Amino acid sequence: MKHMIYADNAATTKLSKEALSAMMPYLEEEYGNASQPYSFSRTVKKAVKKARETIASCINALPEEIFFTSGGTESDNWALKSIMCSNEDTRGLLTSGIEHHAILKSAESIKKMGIPVSFLPVNAEGIVTPDILEREINNKTKLVSIMLSNNEIGSIQPVKELTGIAHSNGALFHTDAVQAVGHIEVDVISLGVDMLSASAHKFNGPKGVGFLYVRKGSKIAPFLDGGAQEFGMRAGTENVAAIVGMAVALKENITSLEKSTSFILEMENMLLDRLTVSGVDFIRNGAKDNCAPGNISLSFRGLEGEMLLHRLDLKGICVSTGAACDSKNTRISHVLRAIGLDDEYATGTIRISLGKNNTPEEVNKIADAIISIVQ
Amino acid sequence: METKCIVCGKEIVDRDTIGLNKKLIGKNIVEFYCIECLAVYLDCTVSDLVDKIEEFKEEGCTLFQ
Repeated sequence: MKHMIYADNAATTKLSKEALSAMMPYLEEEYGNASQPYSFSRTVKKAVKKARETIASCINALPEEIFFTSGGTESDNWALKSIMCSNEDTRGLLTSGIEHHAILKSAESIKKMGIPVSFLPVNAEGIVTPDILEREINNKTKLVSIMLSNNEIGSIQPVKELTGIAHSNGALFHTDAVQAVGHIEVDVISLGVDMLSASAHKFNGPKGVGFLYVRKGSKIAPFLDGGAQEFGMRAGTENVAAIVGMAVALKENITSLEKSTSFILEMENMLLDRLTVSGVDFIRNGAKDNCAPGNISLSFRGLEGEMLLHRLDLKGICVSTGAACDSKNTRISHVLRAIGLDDEYATGTIRISLGKNNTPEEVNKIADAIISIVQ
Repeated sequence: METKCIVCGKEIVDRDTIGLNKKLIGKNIVEFYCIECLAVYLDCTVSDLVDKIEEFKEEGCTLFQ
């Protein structure tokens, strides 16, 4: 069997061994329900409490501002729908055209309910600049939702500035930070956001768990009615093992963030240098000076992204594509459309997302494989 | 359509092999490999390619039977 090179860390990441070890007791002997008052559940209850405190400390939040969810999609749906559909306030939603579908589809649902929704454009680097938001926002805006780091091209948004604009117009600010938490420094106080979504499996935690940060004092409706879990805001017996694993994985990533970032950026530069030196005709998409480390969106002139993906797959290399083909058409992603990338390049787009578990040897093999396919 | 493998000259009679060539080399190609020669060209096994055909079919790709 050929050695598999996993370079799709923006899709999901390998579960941390430390996280797995921390989870195991809660999958085996510590199976108590955290809501029960007897002593058998005490350990479990304490584990959930500790996980909440750990996660809060990683993003400079308070424990009571962290609500566990099933992942980023749920967090995004909860944030948008609870704010936009909660009362008679008919002010609208502003979001960007490059959001993840969890936001875009939620926004479309909200729009169908007759609530005003606008999708902001981005510049060629995939950034919602403050002046773009300034132009569109007014006192009829209730919520602004702009992602922190784009999943396809890695552009990091100026969320701190955007939040300031939203607040000065009386609007709340939510950020989908699924691609950012655990990969760049995220400080909710510094960013000033009212809500923030995160997902554990993007930062080496388990799948099926995430959280929504809600700033203390923000009025948000419950997502699920039922029991009193999550301060009565998200009913359902806690997925204790996953919650514990998420906290351990996040803490681990945050602790080694500086070292991992530097290592990943070195590999990123190595890959780009190899492709440049080989004379391959490509564009690197995203913000020139502020991209999530390791998120490398590359567009190759005159090629097909899906072809590249499958050819790399046959060499044991896992990447994503930004354009999928059928027999007649090529569907270019909404993000590549939004940045105005020329079709000649856009159709040949792949996303290589490196993580802390990749090695320079693997990156060289990826470069070799791309060069051999493209040339 | 009668198509012959550009390497061994074997007649390619099935639509799946044509579709696979288009998926893995380019949708506008006019010359094709038989599945055995395609595996050699791509440095993989025929089994890998058969798996790909099945996956493309499951996705509903109309290039395949």
